Amino acid sequence: MKYAMLIYGDDSAWVDLPDEERAALRTDEMPQWISLFEELRRADPTVSGKELDGRNTAKVVRVRDGERLVTDGPYVETKEILGGVFLIDLPDLDEAIRLASLIPAAKDTGSIEIRPILQ
Amino acid sequence: MQFITLIHTDEAPWETFSDEEKEGWYERYRQLMRDAEAAGVLAGGHELASTRDATTVRIRNDETLVTDGPYAEVKEALGGFFVFECESMDDAVDWAARIPGAEHGAIEVRPVHVDPEEVQL
Repeated sequence: MKYAMLIYGDDSAWVDLPDEERAALRTDEMPQWISLFEELRRADPTVSGKELDGRNTAKVVRVRDGERLVTDGPYVETKEILGGVFLIDLPDLDEAIRLASLIPAAKDTGSIEIRPILQ
Repeated sequence: MQFITLIHTDEAPWETFSDEEKEGWYERYRQLMRDAEAAGVLAGGHELASTRDATTVRIRNDETLVTDGPYAEVKEALGGFFVFECESMDDAVDWAARIPGAEHGAIEVRPVHVDPEEVQL
């Protein structure tokens, strides 16, 4: 079964950091992510992932009565925002849960939502 | 640059649609994919199963908490996404506006983060 692991977290503090501090935090966290990537690749060599830029880069597009409405900012009703996604083929949900629990962003206020991908 | 277009729509009406109605929407999505492919901008896309089939994992105080359902109940849930390879946000917004879900939901467009210095998956 192919799954999407949707990584939700509150990035409001993160996007407001000065560039150097954000870069330093990324460098600190990178080893945890690299070991996660290795674990994901062991589970599925075809795994892929996308990290999304912060909430300040988002636009929302709606079309109503043929008219296009574009607004700045993410589509959110919550503090948490989608920050990235992994696409991975796994034998079952238990394995997806095990791997999701290794994602560093599952900690603090983060959540990993696992959704099957329809073929 | 890659842009992801996150398709947020109300799931409730979809579940009331007949197979013919669903097929009509699917055909519009397939047409968009054919157009995007012909334009050389389609870099991926997936439809997600309903939020009813979602499982959410959180780590709190070193404990793994697993719950059924999405991370949050929102009226217009993420139902799928496309990834477009575009020159600019304006071009990505043009493609987002052609997604059928834009007519009844909301499409969030976000640049995909790429740092050539960093390890990517």
